[in-house]
Amino acid sequence: MQFGYGYFEDDHLGDISDLKLWQRILIYIAPVKKSLFIAILLSILINSSRLALPYLTRIAIDKYIIPVDPELSGNMQGFSDIVIIFFLVMIFGFIANFFQIYTLELSGQRIMHSMRQHLFTHLLRLDLHFFNSSPTGKLVTRLTNDIQNMHEMFTSVIITIFNDLLMITGILTILFWMNWQLTLLLSIMLPLIVLFTILFSRLARDAFRKIRTNLARINSFIQESISGISVIHMFLQEKGTYKKFKELNLKYYGSNLLQIKIFAVFLPVIEILSSTALALIIWYGGRDILSGKISLGILVAFIAYMRLFFQPVRELSQKYSIIQSAMASAERIFHLLDIKEPVEHSGIKQPHDITDWSLRFNNISFSYEPGHPVIHDFSLNVPSGKTVAIVGATGSGKTTLINLLERFYNPDKGCITIHDRNIMDIEVHSLRRHVGLVMQDIFILPGSIKKNILLDTVLSEEKFLQILSDSQLKQFVDRLDMGIETIIGEGGIELSAGQKQLLSLARVLVRDPKILILDEATSNVDTQTEMFIEQAIMATLKNRTGIVIAHRLSTIRRASHIVVMEHGRIVEQGTHEELLEQKGVYHQMQNINLFNENSNRRL
Amino acid sequence: MPRLALGLFALILVDVMQLCIPWVIKWAVDDLEQGVATTKSLFNYGIYIMLLALGMGVLRFIWRFLIFGFSRLVEMDLRNRLFSHLLTLDKPFFNRTTTGDIMAHATNDLLSVQMAIGMGLVAMFDATMITIAAISLMIYLNPTLAAIAILPMPFMILLARFLSKKLHKRYKKVQEKFSKIMEFTRSTISSIRLIKAYNQETSQTDHLNTLGKEYVKNNLKLSVIQGILFPSAVFISNISLLLVLFFGGRLTLNGIISSGDFVAFINYLLMLTWPMIAIGWVTNLFQRGATSLGRIQNLLDERPVIKDISLSDKSLKLSGKIFFKDLTFTYPGQSCPSLSDINLKIGQGVLGIVGRTGAGKTTLCNLITRMFPVPDKTLFFDGHDVNTLPLSMTRGIIAYVPQDVIIFSDTIANNIAMSRPDASIDEIQKAANIAAIHSEIMDMPQAYQTRVGEHGIKLSGGQRQRITIARAVLSEKPVIIIDDGMSAVDMETEQAIIKSIASYIKNRTCIIVSHRLAQLVDVREIIVMDNGRIVAQGDHEKLLKQNSFYATIHKHQTTPQS
Repeated sequence: MQFGYGYFEDDHLGDISDLKLWQRILIYIAPVKKSLFIAILLSILINSSRLALPYLTRIAIDKYIIPVDPELSGNMQGFSDIVIIFFLVMIFGFIANFFQIYTLELSGQRIMHSMRQHLFTHLLRLDLHFFNSSPTGKLVTRLTNDIQNMHEMFTSVIITIFNDLLMITGILTILFWMNWQLTLLLSIMLPLIVLFTILFSRLARDAFRKIRTNLARINSFIQESISGISVIHMFLQEKGTYKKFKELNLKYYGSNLLQIKIFAVFLPVIEILSSTALALIIWYGGRDILSGKISLGILVAFIAYMRLFFQPVRELSQKYSIIQSAMASAERIFHLLDIKEPVEHSGIKQPHDITDWSLRFNNISFSYEPGHPVIHDFSLNVPSGKTVAIVGATGSGKTTLINLLERFYNPDKGCITIHDRNIMDIEVHSLRRHVGLVMQDIFILPGSIKKNILLDTVLSEEKFLQILSDSQLKQFVDRLDMGIETIIGEGGIELSAGQKQLLSLARVLVRDPKILILDEATSNVDTQTEMFIEQAIMATLKNRTGIVIAHRLSTIRRASHIVVMEHGRIVEQGTHEELLEQKGVYHQMQNINLFNENSNRRL
Repeated sequence: MPRLALGLFALILVDVMQLCIPWVIKWAVDDLEQGVATTKSLFNYGIYIMLLALGMGVLRFIWRFLIFGFSRLVEMDLRNRLFSHLLTLDKPFFNRTTTGDIMAHATNDLLSVQMAIGMGLVAMFDATMITIAAISLMIYLNPTLAAIAILPMPFMILLARFLSKKLHKRYKKVQEKFSKIMEFTRSTISSIRLIKAYNQETSQTDHLNTLGKEYVKNNLKLSVIQGILFPSAVFISNISLLLVLFFGGRLTLNGIISSGDFVAFINYLLMLTWPMIAIGWVTNLFQRGATSLGRIQNLLDERPVIKDISLSDKSLKLSGKIFFKDLTFTYPGQSCPSLSDINLKIGQGVLGIVGRTGAGKTTLCNLITRMFPVPDKTLFFDGHDVNTLPLSMTRGIIAYVPQDVIIFSDTIANNIAMSRPDASIDEIQKAANIAAIHSEIMDMPQAYQTRVGEHGIKLSGGQRQRITIARAVLSEKPVIIIDDGMSAVDMETEQAIIKSIASYIKNRTCIIVSHRLAQLVDVREIIVMDNGRIVAQGDHEKLLKQNSFYATIHKHQTTPQS
């Protein structure tokens, strides 16, 4: 009954037309156009040096070795001159080639780098709705594998296209000049090739799209399996997991095979077309010779040039798979870039003038999925400097409220105000700078303990150590060989859930926010440690406006006001004593908490 | 392998047939020159060319399909091997390797292996064929001149060897940087909520910029090698040409070789230009492939620290009696022990564990589940030292609810049934009932078929925890460990779970780590841990009287006023 871990992506993402894709790629190419121009110049030089060498050889042979003019025979001086020129051209070719390779790599890498930066910056601006529905592995694939997939296009194909098109035009001109009738005959091949190429590009693009999607699936699966490896081990699900992976891998293989098949048909067909042209010329041109219309010399030269003509055509069609593959990646990347950024960055007002950090939720309604509201008409006032506790069953919407305050999402109805100012009007970064959130889910970035606490803030060593001991982490850190430089998270040691919570409390202590939000910030910490750290927070963040979400009575009781939530609504509120007197939900919760010590349920 | 041989054979045939087409042209031209050509014979020559072309077309399809298909097959097999190997590795490995790095191995590195096998093989084979043909013809024409022509080629091979060492080093760096980028983007995206809440967008973008620039820098270093390697091939084949021109020219002048032979010789030599370029190309592809394969091999060489053994006695069944004897444990790479002198007997019934954060509670669970290697003769299951038991056997009797909730981006039903994929929907619902989440699931839009997103992003913290409890319950194993698995659950629900689980754990061994004493008050045996040691042991009343830590937290949790 198991399917693969959920991964959804359409193979067809509303195809962007090739022209549009190229236009957009050009934007990235533009900044390196100088380097590309140099590379093109170099490639012209390289090609001429390539052509010069056989030409020099011919001169050497014709003039000195098998001389047409007997006078020059044995003229060693002229011969060695040619040898020297030959040698110089070789060295010149070498140097030009070196710089071409380097320049192309440089411009290609720059294009890819700026694309990656652009995509990354864009992604970080997208809202959480987007991240909730996009597997991490998929986004990582776009940022890395897909961008890498365009490498060859930028470093070799662009130049080749330029060269080959130049060559094709040149040869066609010569041919036309030589014999326009035969050239016309040859030219009927061109539309055929173009038509065929277009037809194939559809097939090929589809295949490459599948490849990109399946690769992203593989990455997503690896990412999820590794993050859940302990559960997979624990429940002995290695075989099942491997089976699923094999299926995904097989799909990827299948899509690659499809691509191979498509090109295994396409390339030979181009070759067959070129041979058809040859056969036609021999047949048709031969008849012209028989009827005396053209000379044999012209036919032979024509055949020679025609083969030259198909050389770049063949090369282009071989590069075609690289282009198609790169375009499939480009399409996916641009598709991500086309996702509109939320307007959160439009807020202009800086909250400098806010002195009173009172917080008010005004008739908030919100739903993650249309038709399933999570918060109903919620109103709450948190006076400046006061702390409100929110309690309630899991799934009653407590964390959602915090998400709205942080503007991870925007409410469907109502508004949240700070000092009577709608938070929608506050620039989102300044809002978040002043709201210190300790999340229920704790994220550790791979890096040292110090880096994880400080993030991008700078703090004196002394101050940092103070925070370390305030957050009750000192004892733990002291036991580690590397101390605060110990690497934690991926590729480092694992912290227990409680230690992670202490660390995320330390993060808040570093940042000194105006509004403090603790969302089950100490649920995995023992009560004693919790008390110590809360004292530290109280001392550091005196008189801050605060919201505390917790299940533990010991955590709640410090709040001046308690709100009880049920299914997205407030069912009771008041001080601890008031609520106890009401003998409602809160009272009942208290009774559970003050557990019955005389129970006879012995386990 | 036979597929590969067949593919290479088709490749040879194509090469040979390709040489036939000029002959046909030559015949036609000869006929025309001698005036014996007719419309019919010309038509026939056209047909010959078409037939050859069609035959080549079919053969080309065959070799492309077979050889490139083979390279993809190898890629798939290697990826399967890599993944199945990863599944055998344990925590110590995953604690020092990042997911992004592994993803880079499974994609980017395998790609270059595949390229080496597909493209590399074809280019090498093709080049070798042409080289052999050209050199034989050259030797046939004039051995001395052939020797002169071949003279510079060993230099190419030496140079290729020398450069490929550098290529290896630099490409390895490039791949390492790629891994870094992959890991960095992965960790950023999976921590997006932290990044946003703490305004880390700019600093993350800056850091990626640094990583990206390093990647560019290393690629440029690599391209220096390529920039020498590729033109060198052309350079050396041109040296050959020059030598032949110089010496051969003299020989021709002196009448030792005929001028016709000399021209033919030069033409054969020009045939060698492409194979020489191919040497550079193949060297590059192969070296990249080899470097990547080396990186993959390093992963494949990783061995789990915990040595798994198989047992000859198949009849052994464990009941879940766990016994710690003088256990002291230090995490790999650390010098301070995390557990010291643990002596503990765990049997049927519930054992509660309380203690300060970092006291070693989770470490104790990690050892019972054998996520980390246990020292010999310190941990026993039914009297057997765990190190003499297969991992699958000890894990086979334990259901574990870890502190860090692990939810897969799948349906709720599948997430619960993860512990027992063959479970029926009824059983799943029963387990969900015990974990007190059934009714909440039924309220969701698609009930048990609701997809929960990565890490269960669409669920609340308490819902996630209860799904993992349901998962453990469903597996119906003799031992169940709940490591602080109800911390995000409200008290009412917590009590509901404790009530419903009470009958489930009858006749089972159950370990509950918790900070909320309400979960443990009815438990027969509770241990208090501090600093890696068991500092007190007993039931609730006893601990209340004898252990000050226990008494203090009890007071905090029951007294409403501070």
